[in-house]
Amino acid sequence: MSSFSFLSTLAPTLAPTLAQGPLPQIMSSITLYHYLVTSAAMFCIGIIGFLTRRNLIIMFLCTELMFQAAGIAFIAFSRFHMNHTGETFVIFVLTVAAAEAAIALALVVLLFRRKESLDGGASTELKG
Amino acid sequence: MPRKNASPYLFGVIIAGVAFGMVMLGLGLKNPEAVPNYYFYIFSAIALAASLRVITHQRPVYSALYFVLTILASSGLYLILSAEFMAFALIIVYAGAILITYLFVIMLATEAPSEEQSDILTEYDRVSREPLAATFAGFILLAGLTTLFAVGLPNVKPGDKLEAGDRQLAFMSRKVEPILKQAGLLKAGETVVPTRVEITSYGMPKDGDTTLDAIKIKAADGKERLLPRAEWPPTMVLSNTEGVAFSLINNHPGAIEIAGVILLMAMLGAVVLARKKVELDEFALNAAIARQRAGVDDELGIDGPFGRPGTGEGGAA
Repeated sequence: MSSFSFLSTLAPTLAPTLAQGPLPQIMSSITLYHYLVTSAAMFCIGIIGFLTRRNLIIMFLCTELMFQAAGIAFIAFSRFHMNHTGETFVIFVLTVAAAEAAIALALVVLLFRRKESLDGGASTELKG
Repeated sequence: MPRKNASPYLFGVIIAGVAFGMVMLGLGLKNPEAVPNYYFYIFSAIALAASLRVITHQRPVYSALYFVLTILASSGLYLILSAEFMAFALIIVYAGAILITYLFVIMLATEAPSEEQSDILTEYDRVSREPLAATFAGFILLAGLTTLFAVGLPNVKPGDKLEAGDRQLAFMSRKVEPILKQAGLLKAGETVVPTRVEITSYGMPKDGDTTLDAIKIKAADGKERLLPRAEWPPTMVLSNTEGVAFSLINNHPGAIEIAGVILLMAMLGAVVLARKKVELDEFALNAAIARQRAGVDDELGIDGPFGRPGTGEGGAA
């Protein structure tokens, strides 16, 4: 039980006795940890999609998913630290995402015109 | 709404939605402070489910639309975190601009359906690449991240109220004046001087006052007095948009310029790339010639920009 002692710091009321509230206390008090777990899960979904999908457009959509996960973490930390720097940073994440979408999609269209295929595995001419 | 038959699923969904809403309402009435927490679970469940659909759906257009749902749900999360400006900017920029670009490209770059096969799914949309290994890697990463968060977070200290900073209000005379007048703290003829005042000899801060900021008020006859923060009316707070604006302009002016340059470069790059004339590579050209020999009607011609698609298996010589 001692190795899980951090749980008590995350949710101070995760006591052996059940809370008397309408929900278990860990469910009715949202901490920074909840937001970070959501963000991490979304990031991992994005990574899995990026690794498994073969359609180039969907692969870039998955990078947007990862940007989004980072944004949630930024905003959660911004709220936690009570300043606006995290929110400001999300603006720049949005900027980079927009720039990346423009360039990457132009490249994808070029590739499609050349290969008539959106398969990411089709462009392997440089492979030895 | 055009509909063929009222599906039994529809009634089920409606009943489930109403029941869910009643449960939420009941819980909210019983414990009103916990309502944002319920919304946290709703929004994050929607966001995660929709992002799962993004990576599992076979049709790229649906993937993009599910990504819009993810964006909407995470802007709901932003709203719970009281980041209103970023929530709406997210909807406008992401769901409004970036996703539309994606949809355009998906429609430009998908293979046109032929007469006999009206909805054909390409092979690279149907078959994934190394799903088991990728999922394993994803779960390892998720486990590592959550463990690190759980171990490290107790060491992260939350910021105090000082950082949230209503001190910028001292600069905003136009916003502050009507509020002060309504609260009776500003008499007729008095104006707020937009300047930063830090009281050092005013005395000890009162309860709940973590800063010594004050608003400088100038009377008609030129006499100045200070209104310390402890006496500000509670309705006078800095809104989220104003806070982001002050943070952006005061703390990160260089980053705005760099962001502008990045956007300009991206625009130029996209224009340059899109103007480029490309030819089909050998494999696609051969496929197009073979199709033409076989008598398939190829009205766009083999060297047109969006000729008829090949087999979907490019370049594997």
